[in-house]
Amino acid sequence: MKHSVMTGRPMRPRVPQALIAAGLLVLACLLPSTSSAAEASELSKESVACLKCHDKPGMEKALENGEKLSLHVSTQEYADSMHNETNCEDCHADLDAKTHGKVKTAIKSKRDFAHSMRETCRDCHKKKFTQYDDSVHAALVKDGSKKAPLCADCHNPHTQRSVKIAEPISATPCAACHEAIFKAYTTDVHGLARAAKGKDAPLCAGCHKAHEVKAASLGEGAKDSCLACHKDAVDQHKGWLPNTGLHFEAISCPACHAPAAHRRVNLRLYDGPAAAKKQISEKRGVPQFVASARAADANNLGLDERALLSLLKEFNQDGDNSKAVLRGRLEVRTGVEAHQLSDKSKAIKDCDTCHRAGAEAFQSVSLTIAGADGRPLRHGVQKEVLTSLQSMESVRGFYAIGSTRIKLLDTLLILVVLGSIGGPLAHMTTKWLFKRFREKQAAEQRAAELLAASQATVPGNRDDVPN
Amino acid sequence: MRKLYIHPLPVRIWHWTNALGFVLLIATGLQIRYAGLIQVMSFKNAVEVHNWVGFALIANFFIWLLFYLFSDKIKVYHPELSPTTYFRASFKQMQFYGYGIFRGDPNPHSVSAYRKFNPLQSMMYQIVMMLLVPIQFFTGVLLWDVTRFSSMVEMFGGVRIVDTVHVLLFIFFSGFIIVHTYLGSLGHTPAAHFEAMVTGYEEVEDEAEAGKAPATSGD
Repeated sequence: MKHSVMTGRPMRPRVPQALIAAGLLVLACLLPSTSSAAEASELSKESVACLKCHDKPGMEKALENGEKLSLHVSTQEYADSMHNETNCEDCHADLDAKTHGKVKTAIKSKRDFAHSMRETCRDCHKKKFTQYDDSVHAALVKDGSKKAPLCADCHNPHTQRSVKIAEPISATPCAACHEAIFKAYTTDVHGLARAAKGKDAPLCAGCHKAHEVKAASLGEGAKDSCLACHKDAVDQHKGWLPNTGLHFEAISCPACHAPAAHRRVNLRLYDGPAAAKKQISEKRGVPQFVASARAADANNLGLDERALLSLLKEFNQDGDNSKAVLRGRLEVRTGVEAHQLSDKSKAIKDCDTCHRAGAEAFQSVSLTIAGADGRPLRHGVQKEVLTSLQSMESVRGFYAIGSTRIKLLDTLLILVVLGSIGGPLAHMTTKWLFKRFREKQAAEQRAAELLAASQATVPGNRDDVPN
Repeated sequence: MRKLYIHPLPVRIWHWTNALGFVLLIATGLQIRYAGLIQVMSFKNAVEVHNWVGFALIANFFIWLLFYLFSDKIKVYHPELSPTTYFRASFKQMQFYGYGIFRGDPNPHSVSAYRKFNPLQSMMYQIVMMLLVPIQFFTGVLLWDVTRFSSMVEMFGGVRIVDTVHVLLFIFFSGFIIVHTYLGSLGHTPAAHFEAMVTGYEEVEDEAEAGKAPATSGD
């Protein structure tokens, strides 16, 4: 059994605590009283003892880097929080009651402190922690990012309330880093619905997940999130959209549902067949993509047909050319634009928007693989690659009728049609030129026949007449 | 001149349905491929019409196939097994179209119920009907629903390759239909073969006539 370092007594079992907390929560709902004393009585004696000192606004600790770490914990907010049944020492087990407050311990920075406290979260939130460990946020932390969120950056452990409580959208912690995206979200169809309807409409985590956050432009995660709520979307599109399956596969939802956004073709490098949906990732510590792409594009004009093919072959060094394949996807260019979703009545339905030569969506092309940290790594590709016969092999998995048609085939069509008209015209003309010759021939033949016939009727010339 | 029943009703039905269908497929195909340049109908309507006509023509193809499979008229497609004979006859036919026809020479091929194709037609129609048309239908069906047939599309190298094959054949058929129409006008009168494809009866010269009268076809 785990023992508290501060008190030396066994820690209280959690299930009864949960029941008590639930009971208290029901009571709290029924009783209007929310006085600090009443809240404090719901907390353990040990916690109340800690809060006697720590519920002092302005209480803080100077850190080595000059930052100030607030040590203030509001009793009421703590009692209202999801951790109200957790004793202070359950998380702060490293503190020694004998020396706490008397001996100063050095903390480098807030970030360092948050880092050191992460493991205590794992003790109780194993599943969420595992999900977080698999996220782009955790990968960035592992790569030494100073900004990627740690548990405490999103969850204040002393005030964290149930996620079932509909907080105002401004309270979402994602906005702290993704401010521009959040601003776009607040005025798009989901943000407005969230403000009007509350929890029925998605907030950040509704689509991106709270802990297993992945780069939205990699994989299928973002689309699957849309379809998780809009379950009839495929059927609704089938009613009017030819090749619905392919459109869903090759176009991200915002590409049509954020009509004001700029679009691009994202050529994504996959490992093996499309069905496997396994996007190639840069191996940690073996950066291949960036160096190879730069080497293939010395003038930084974007990869051309040959460079793209040679790069693709580099990823197929074992000689199996079908291993690494490019799959194109039409998507919006920025995360901000992905959060400018409009009402569906304004979504793009006109096929000509994309299915014509020179369509805006095909003016920007990039090649992407998943970086070792889970973020996309991109390199520009020349847009002519999409319409070139030379890239037939490299971009064989991406084709949009009209807009990415191979120009050489247009020339061939013109030549064949001109030849098919010109050939018969030349033949007809020659026949016409020979008309007199044929008429002369026919006249001569008729004359010869007449002569032969007349000679046959002249006496003395007849074969049957004896000389 | 005497009349010979050359084109049975199922073949005529198939032929004109096919002709109309191909014209529609080429027209809608042009609209689909060149949506920015041609605006006769919307892209979506063009795709719808293209798909429906495509399926109608696949069904129509089976009228042709079943008729010939279950009729002795299949002999018209029987290949000449002797290469020497075949190439000699083909050369004569090419010589006629490239030279003899201008001089008024008689057509070296005489039509009969079981020999309605000259050697060049025989080779061309076998390639068209048994290879190119089926490939065009097949690639068309794959492109109709790429996701449904994704494994097959993948097997053929991807959607761009399947589409390119479809477009190459579209280019071929666009040329074919023009040249075919012109060659159809090279009967003893410009309308003779067209009328025959409606009535079923070709007007052929009597053997006695054929030997002496220079051809004046197509004037």
